Amino acid sequence: MTLSAPISALAPALALALALALALGAAAPAALAQSAAPAAPGVSTLDVNQLFATTCGWCHSEGGREAGKGPQLMNTKRSDDFIRHRIKYGKEGGMPAFGTTFNDADIDAIIRYIRALKPQQD
Amino acid sequence: MKRRTKGLAATVAFAAGALIAATPSLAQQIDTARIAAGDPNDWLTYHGSYNGYHYSGLDQINAGNVKDLDVAWIHVPGHSTRGLQSMPLVADGILYYSGSYSRVFALDGATGKLVWSYFPELNDALVARQTHSPYNRGLALGEGKVFVGTVDGRLIALDMKTGKPVWDTQLQDSEKLTVGFTGAPLYAKGSVVIGSQGGEWPNRGPIFAVDAATGKKKWEFLTVAGTEDAKKTWGNDSWRTGGGGGWMTGTYNSADNTVWWGTANPAPLYDWSGPDFMTKGARPGTNLYTTSVLGLDLDSGKLKFYHQELPHDAWDFDSAVGEFIMLDRDGKQLMVHPNKGGFIFVYDRADAKVENVWPIAQNINFVKTIDPKTGELIGRRDFGVGKVAEPLCPHISGGVSWNSGSYDPKTGLYYKLGQEWCMTLEVVKTTPVTEPQVQLNIGANFKIAKPPSGEIYGHLDARDPITGAKKWEVRYPEPPLASVLSTGGNLVFLPDTRGIVHAYDAETGKELWNHNDGLGHQGGIISYAAGGKQYVAVVAGFGGMASDDYAPTFGEPYKSMPRDEGVLVVYSLK
Repeated sequence: MTLSAPISALAPALALALALALALGAAAPAALAQSAAPAAPGVSTLDVNQLFATTCGWCHSEGGREAGKGPQLMNTKRSDDFIRHRIKYGKEGGMPAFGTTFNDADIDAIIRYIRALKPQQD
Repeated sequence: MKRRTKGLAATVAFAAGALIAATPSLAQQIDTARIAAGDPNDWLTYHGSYNGYHYSGLDQINAGNVKDLDVAWIHVPGHSTRGLQSMPLVADGILYYSGSYSRVFALDGATGKLVWSYFPELNDALVARQTHSPYNRGLALGEGKVFVGTVDGRLIALDMKTGKPVWDTQLQDSEKLTVGFTGAPLYAKGSVVIGSQGGEWPNRGPIFAVDAATGKKKWEFLTVAGTEDAKKTWGNDSWRTGGGGGWMTGTYNSADNTVWWGTANPAPLYDWSGPDFMTKGARPGTNLYTTSVLGLDLDSGKLKFYHQELPHDAWDFDSAVGEFIMLDRDGKQLMVHPNKGGFIFVYDRADAKVENVWPIAQNINFVKTIDPKTGELIGRRDFGVGKVAEPLCPHISGGVSWNSGSYDPKTGLYYKLGQEWCMTLEVVKTTPVTEPQVQLNIGANFKIAKPPSGEIYGHLDARDPITGAKKWEVRYPEPPLASVLSTGGNLVFLPDTRGIVHAYDAETGKELWNHNDGLGHQGGIISYAAGGKQYVAVVAGFGGMASDDYAPTFGEPYKSMPRDEGVLVVYSLK
C-alpha cells in the first residue's frame, strides 16, 4: 500500500498551478488551493463573503450578522483601528491572529464588509 | 464502501476487577500486558484500558456511601485557556494530567503534592494563529515515559519519574498546516500512536506511530487518499486539500495487533454538490478514508480493514470519536463505536463488518436512518448552494461529543450522552486556502437552532450497547459535554456543563450525590486507588469549540463562566 507524498511536497506544484490559473485570468479550479495573501502588498483580491463561509463564520454566525462563539459584527460600535488590531493580533483563547495571513489591504476589505453588513432578506 | 482482510479471530480477555488493593502496588514497568490487564487501582491509558470501558472496578465508594463523598484535594494548573479537556492517568498512586499548552503535571494521588511539572516551549506565534487550540486532551504512559502531543506538531516523551524530556519529535509542519495535536497519544507494544487535527483543515490528516524508546517515526497513514484506491474516491484531485485527521485517541486490539482509530471529516465541511456528490461539488466521490473507522497494523501502519461510516460526509459528523468498546456476545467478538452524527455503530472486531447501528440522539435528519444490517445511509440530505430550508440536525457539535461514555460489565449497560440540537445552514461555494498558511474551509454560514421537538437538551442514557435498548435516561437543560465514568460501586458519574458532578445509581438512574466544582466540565473523569483508598478525579474548566456556544445560546451561568480557568478536583469518602 503506497503512501502518497506529504503535503509539504505538494506546495510548489499548487503554487505554480495557481499562478498559471491567475495569469490566464481563470478562476482557480475547486481542487486547487488559492492564496489568501496577494503578491502586491497594497492590493486585495480577497472575496470576504467567501472568507466568512470559509473561516470566520465558525464563530461569527450568519456571515457576521449574528453573535455566535464570537461577537456579532453587523452594527459593531468598535472602531476601524480596534477591528484592524484584533484581526492582526487576535485574542488569546478567542480570536486567531491573521496578521501573517492578510495584508493591510485585505484587512481594509474585511472592515468594509463588516461596515456594509445588513440583515439578510429571506 | 468496505475493504476487509482475511478474518483474523480477535480475542481480548476481559480483565474483570472488583478488587481494591489494601496497599499500593509496587511500581512496575508499564507495558501492553499491564495496560490490557486493567488493574482497577490504575488508569493507564486514555480509555482506562484497551477495552475502552471507561470503567473502574473499584467499589470502596459505592451507592450506599457516596453521600459521604467529598473533596480530598484540588490542583490548579494555571493558564487554562479554553478550560481543561484532558483525561487524567494514574499509575502506582501517581496521577498524571495535562492542561492547555500541553502543560503536564505528576501529582501524588493521595495528597495532590507535586512530584514534577513540565511546560513545553511552544511556537507562540503559531498558537496565536490557531482556532482549535491550545487545549490538550491527554497523555499516554509506557516504558517509563509520559507521552504528550503539542499543538505545534510535536510528540514529546518525558521521563515518568522526573518529568525531564527524553525525546521531542516534530511530526508535522504545523507552521504551514496550522494544526497540530490536541488528542491523547496511545501506547502499545513499543509504539506511540497519535492522530493529527484536521477535518475542516484542508490537509491530508495523518496518523503517526513513533518508536516509544527513541522517538523515531515508524509510520504515517494519510487518512485522505492514504492508498491508491482511496485516491480514486476524490474527484478533480480534491484529495490534495481533503481534510481528514484522527484527532481523538483510538485503541489497540492485542489479539490481532490492530490499532482501531476513527477519522475526521472531509473539507469543506459542507459541500454544494447536491445529490450528485459522486460527480459534482467540492470533492466528488466518497472521500476515503474520511469519517471512517480504520484497522491499522500496529507495526507497519498498513490498512487491514475499514468501514466508512458516512461516505462523502457532507455534515461534519465524523468518526473521530475515539471510543471503541470491545464486547463479546453470543459468540461474536464486537467493537462498539459512536459516530458524531448521533448513531452508535457495532462492528465485528475481526474486520469492521457492520453488525448493528442504532441512534442515541432523537433529533437526526441528515439521513432518514442507517441500515442496521449494512450501515448504508438511507434518505441522506445533500445540499446545494444557498439556504437550507429545514434546519440540519444534529448541530455541528454533534449528536454525541468527542468525550467518552462508559460501559459497566456488572450491569451490562452502556452509559452514554446524547445531544439534541440543530442548526440553520447556508451553503457557500468556497476555495481552499493553503498559502501562506492553511486556513479553515467550512463552506457555509450557520447558527445553532432548536430541534423540531422543542428546546435544546442533553441526556444521559443507560442502554444495551449492542441493541440500544434503553433502561433509563436523565435529561439536562444544556447538553453535557464531559466523559462519563461507571464504577464497581454501582455508580455512574456525570460531570455537567454547569459545573455539577452527579452520581447516579447505575441500575436505576436515581441521583445519589452531587457537588459543584464551580466551572463547567468538558473533559475526563476517572477513578483510582492510592494507599488503599479510592478516589474520583475530574477536570473542570470551560471553553472551546462546543462550549463557546453556551453563553450566546443559554445565557447564565455560561455568560459569566470564565473560559480561561481550570481545576483538577479529586474526591474521596470523608
